[in-house]
Amino acid sequence: MSKIAVKVDDLTVAYNYKPVLWDIDLEIPEGVLMAIVGPNGAGKSTLIKSILGILNPIAGSITIYGKSYAKQRSLVAYVPQKGSVDWDFPTTALDVVMMGTYGGLGWIKRPGQKEKKAALEALEKVGMLPFKNRQISQLSGGQQQRIFLARALVQDASIYFMDEPFQGVDATTEIAIINILKELRKASKTVVVVHHDLQTVPEYFDWVTFLNVKKIATGPVKDIFNDDNLTKTYGINYKVSIQK
Amino acid sequence: MSSAQIEIQLIASLVAIACAIPGTFLVLRKMAMISDAISHSILPGIVLGFFITQDLNSPLLIFLAALTGIVTVVLVEQIQKTGLVKEDTAIGLVFPALFSIGVILIAKNANDVHLDVDAVLLGELAFAPFDRMLLFGVDAGPKSLWIIGTILIITLILLFMFFKELKLSTFDSGLAASLGFSPVVVHYGLMTVSSVTTVGAFDAVGAILVVALMVAPAAAAYLLTSDLKKMLLLAILFGIFSAISGYWVAHWLDASIAGSITSMLGVLFLVVYLFAPNKGLIAVIYREKQQRIEVSLLTFLLHLKNHVELEERHVNHLNEHINWQNLRSKIVLDLALKNNMIEIDNNIVSLTEKGDLFTSQAIDYIITNEDTQIEDMKADFFLFRG
Ligand SMILES: Nc1ncnc2c1ncn2[C@@H]1O[C@H](COP(=O)(O)OP(=O)(O)OP(=O)(O)O)[C@@H](O)[C@H]1O
Ligand SMILES: [Mg+2]
Repeated sequence: MSKIAVKVDDLTVAYNYKPVLWDIDLEIPEGVLMAIVGPNGAGKSTLIKSILGILNPIAGSITIYGKSYAKQRSLVAYVPQKGSVDWDFPTTALDVVMMGTYGGLGWIKRPGQKEKKAALEALEKVGMLPFKNRQISQLSGGQQQRIFLARALVQDASIYFMDEPFQGVDATTEIAIINILKELRKASKTVVVVHHDLQTVPEYFDWVTFLNVKKIATGPVKDIFNDDNLTKTYGINYKVSIQK
Repeated sequence: MSSAQIEIQLIASLVAIACAIPGTFLVLRKMAMISDAISHSILPGIVLGFFITQDLNSPLLIFLAALTGIVTVVLVEQIQKTGLVKEDTAIGLVFPALFSIGVILIAKNANDVHLDVDAVLLGELAFAPFDRMLLFGVDAGPKSLWIIGTILIITLILLFMFFKELKLSTFDSGLAASLGFSPVVVHYGLMTVSSVTTVGAFDAVGAILVVALMVAPAAAAYLLTSDLKKMLLLAILFGIFSAISGYWVAHWLDASIAGSITSMLGVLFLVVYLFAPNKGLIAVIYREKQQRIEVSLLTFLLHLKNHVELEERHVNHLNEHINWQNLRSKIVLDLALKNNMIEIDNNIVSLTEKGDLFTSQAIDYIITNEDTQIEDMKADFFLFRG
């Protein structure tokens, strides 16, 4: 068994005192490409935000390679759910990608040539270099998603959390993104993705976590991605034709 | 110009700059209303500060009043957090309460306080030059100039130091938090600057003008640029322009300076709202019309490309077939001719080589949304601009 990248113990998170995640225990091994699946409102985004210290849990502990998140920030990159930012904000694609370098700079220090170069490389990798000076609202949904991905790549982290990176993208972009994710895993990075398309789980991912307020199951796709867990998670009698 | 006139314009301009900077971020954070709340609810802080210090320009008073501003923000957020009401409702609950406490305090002590509600709301720039700052017994200019100048310098220093943090937490507070730039700290930093600026400015220009100077220049700048730095710069320039032009309008009309500046801000915003090149009302209407015509043009060209039969390409037939009114057909035909995309021979329309190429590229673009190959077409056609 390899190292544990992320460990979540007894995590409970609430909005306005109403718990949306109950007593979650979760271990994410290093080097996996993990899908988190569950219905809308299951708490998938909440789980990721709690791991990243964006939300304060009411109970439980979270460690990244054995230490608190605050100490390990530089190891973690994050692609938020697309609706979470204001796309009319006056900024360009390049500028948004540069934001990924801010963490390495710390307070006050400004990005320079080195950061710009890294951002341009990341844009190149996601095929968005021709759009670098576009105002971000002038990009299509799939292009916006690629910009977010480039911003995470520029963080050059060990663990990547992505909240629905395939939301509203076409087949070409989906393949482009999944290839980048597979490349990350090849470089022994850990990648955790909130994913809605159950059909593609076995093809894209090697680990999966079922979540619906509580953790239903977590483990290798080939062992636990079955109708039983799907039914427990989604509440209805689930029959996907899973190609094993 | 007398030196008093120059001083008034200088004070108004510095106030405008000091307001435009936090104002830009408030507008981007969709928090314009909070500046309204702060500007009104600082009143009890000012009155209490005045009881203690007996000096409207004392730093302690500014501190106390700014603190009331922060309390307002905290109260609004706490009420909002209960989930029972929305933010605007929470603002509407908090600031009238605090403002009315201020009004009552003034009314109860009217005899020994030379403060009145009108002065708080509208200020009186014209009197600002009379209250002088004495340094070692030497006249060093109006006190308001010193106060707002100090606040402006601090604001500028903070802006230069924390521009990156402000931008990031305004655009994506989630990423800011995960990278360790506490959005809460940035938020309260911005609220503190807004409160201090409001207090420092209100004595000269009044609460209403402070709100207008924070919101209007930033909102106008927002319509003109998609670059945050340019937006800040434009907001500052708009603020200065309104301050100075407002002063002269007041001078000629013998009207209130604060009122005239506010009116100039309104006029300025209206002009920008109408005429802004991309986001302005007229540009939007024009673009929509242009895009409609271009879609028609493309439909027309595609029809020509798909039909070799002569009868399908007869001018009259096109009219019936594509089912356009004559005017529209004529506009489209003229546009195609002007761009050398078609030839008309004996009332038979055919595509030129250029027209043929254009049609294929345009269709290609619409299907694949690939950008690079049509860069040169963008200048002539709206359809391909985003
Ligand atoms: N800011 C908030 N305030 C109050 N409740 C919230 C807030 N954000 C989310 N919730 C609630 O918490 C629950 C979990 O939300 P979360 O966004 O984590 O779900 P999700 O699994 O990511 O859903 P989706 O698939 O729709 O993205 C939902 O019931 C939601 O209504
Ligand atoms: Mg979500």
